[in-house]
Amino acid sequence: MQPIDNIIFGDNQFFGINHMSQEKAQQLSEKFYDISNIFKVYDYAFDAGIRAIMLNSNDRAKDICAYFRANQAKYGDISWYPSIPYPHKYANLISEKGIVPTINDILFKDNTALGVLGLMAKGGAAVFGKDAIKMMQMLIDIEIRMFKGLNVKVVFLQNIITDLLLGYGIKEIFVEYCEYIRKKYKVLPGLITQNMPILKAKLEDWGIEEVVICTSFNKIGYLMSPNIESYTNACLNNDPTKYQIMAMSTLASGAIPAKEAYKFIAQQKIQSIVFGASSKQHIVETKELINSDI
Amino acid sequence: MTNIGIIGMGRMGITHYSIINSHQDVTITAVVDTSSLVLSLVKKYIAGIHTYSDYNDLFDNESLDAVIICTPPVLHYPIALKAAEKGIHVFCEKPFTTKKDLANELANIFDHKRLVNQVGYVNRFNDIFQSVKEYIQKGVIGEVIQFKSEMYSRTITKSEEGHTWRDSRENGGGAVFEVASHAIDLVNYLVGKPDKVTGSSMIQIYSKNVEDAVNATFLYKKGLTGTINVNWSDESYRKPTNKIEIFGSKGKILADQHGFKVFLKKELPEYQLREGWNTRYITDVFKPVPFYVRGNEFTSQLYHFIDCINDEQKTNLCSFRSATNTLEVIDAIFNDFEQNGKF
Repeated sequence: MQPIDNIIFGDNQFFGINHMSQEKAQQLSEKFYDISNIFKVYDYAFDAGIRAIMLNSNDRAKDICAYFRANQAKYGDISWYPSIPYPHKYANLISEKGIVPTINDILFKDNTALGVLGLMAKGGAAVFGKDAIKMMQMLIDIEIRMFKGLNVKVVFLQNIITDLLLGYGIKEIFVEYCEYIRKKYKVLPGLITQNMPILKAKLEDWGIEEVVICTSFNKIGYLMSPNIESYTNACLNNDPTKYQIMAMSTLASGAIPAKEAYKFIAQQKIQSIVFGASSKQHIVETKELINSDI
Repeated sequence: MTNIGIIGMGRMGITHYSIINSHQDVTITAVVDTSSLVLSLVKKYIAGIHTYSDYNDLFDNESLDAVIICTPPVLHYPIALKAAEKGIHVFCEKPFTTKKDLANELANIFDHKRLVNQVGYVNRFNDIFQSVKEYIQKGVIGEVIQFKSEMYSRTITKSEEGHTWRDSRENGGGAVFEVASHAIDLVNYLVGKPDKVTGSSMIQIYSKNVEDAVNATFLYKKGLTGTINVNWSDESYRKPTNKIEIFGSKGKILADQHGFKVFLKKELPEYQLREGWNTRYITDVFKPVPFYVRGNEFTSQLYHFIDCINDEQKTNLCSFRSATNTLEVIDAIFNDFEQNGKF
């Protein structure tokens, strides 16, 4: 398995996401309303020596990808770690319309580019009613389209979807997701989860290997189910040629001071860290802390 | 081992399935849905599960210990009644039923039969609101005098043809049943059920047949008062958000699902609270859950349901009785609006 970057720059700060404080999230959302402020922060990260970006396929990500595509000469060596889908888009549509009309809308109505317009006339979702895998592949294609032309290393499935599917314990869906990402996009499949030890055990059971697992990992055990000890143990016994572990939420939304947070992370047997920050100083400091501890 | 059937595989049914399937004492033996697409997917990918398009067939053919009801609310009553006849425990999504009398009847039947009964007012299992409840009960802010309970979401943000159950009050749709019910239940949970409702207003923003926003004032005989302010068409919120502000004789609490602030007139060292403002975040008070899907509270509430089935001594934190109280307040809002809220 190709090794992933050991430091990756995340995106929550750009999109008004903060698990601890909505007020903070709103402030950041205002700050990054002007997309040039987002590019400025990316430049701070690159100046600090970071060469990898994790980005969720939300509406604003389209413009971010377009900018980097247009400036390949400057940014061609940056590695991309997209996560799909943007779950709230689907959740809101499902609330408004119901599940089947949502699938119809997304897969068949606004999707002429995939050449499936004719399928709408044949009954849309009903045509694929017995083939969730085919529907999943079409949804993946729609979500990944915006990253075309960028140097993608891993495609991650968002935790809300990974963990929902994990609860069902359906091997076939995980096998097919990983195979599709590997074969069609020729990159590593990634799974984001808040239940890492449970997911990793299942993947081992199912014989699914060479997967990147991105998971909350912090000193206070926040968003780490079932508990912090099983996380630490799962890493201790991990073979990184089979599973590369990437830590996110390392500061637990700011609840842990950075120094303490990365000291803890350095003691874990993990391969990579994704973090987000919105000022030059924070980026530089965090990068130094991570480097000094590793 | 607890055998469970899930009735209604929409958004909540899908979530509950995933969560409760992780419980080692639970087997999900059957699901019910009216969508043939959903049933064919379930049948194809979940080995050994039984599927039904009619809940009556589920009760006739399966040997169940409990059901999770996630249908449109108008169906909750007949389904729960049938479950009671069969001696089956019920977890039912909010707002429980669409009529307070039906709710009351179900609460009586389930209590009489000593069957576990729970409604999905998930905020009661949120670690922040549980901490706030503890503070209020222990008198940290003294006697409650005034409050404001708000809820905002971006559930309905476009004019749509009114074809789903959400666009019909008879079926349990509308911002009062769907969203305000959470804000009202939080009031009942934290400060108690109001004795009178006044000043109710409802407005439509996008919906054709139901309200999108609601306000009301709650009065209590013991002297406290409060308001609710709810809007399910507010796109400034990324996720559904409850906010509550409670003013008491010794201080005040401001809380949402992510954190709370306490203002105290005098310090309380036993709670590590200073005079003036104190902030507690979710990261300070959360309790880890065995399996996470949509938030700790969603797991906690279903595991609590199973705990109550396994241990008869346990008191359910969100029983049919407490959800009936919430429906009685909802009913009072509808009545007050009809009588006093129109020109």
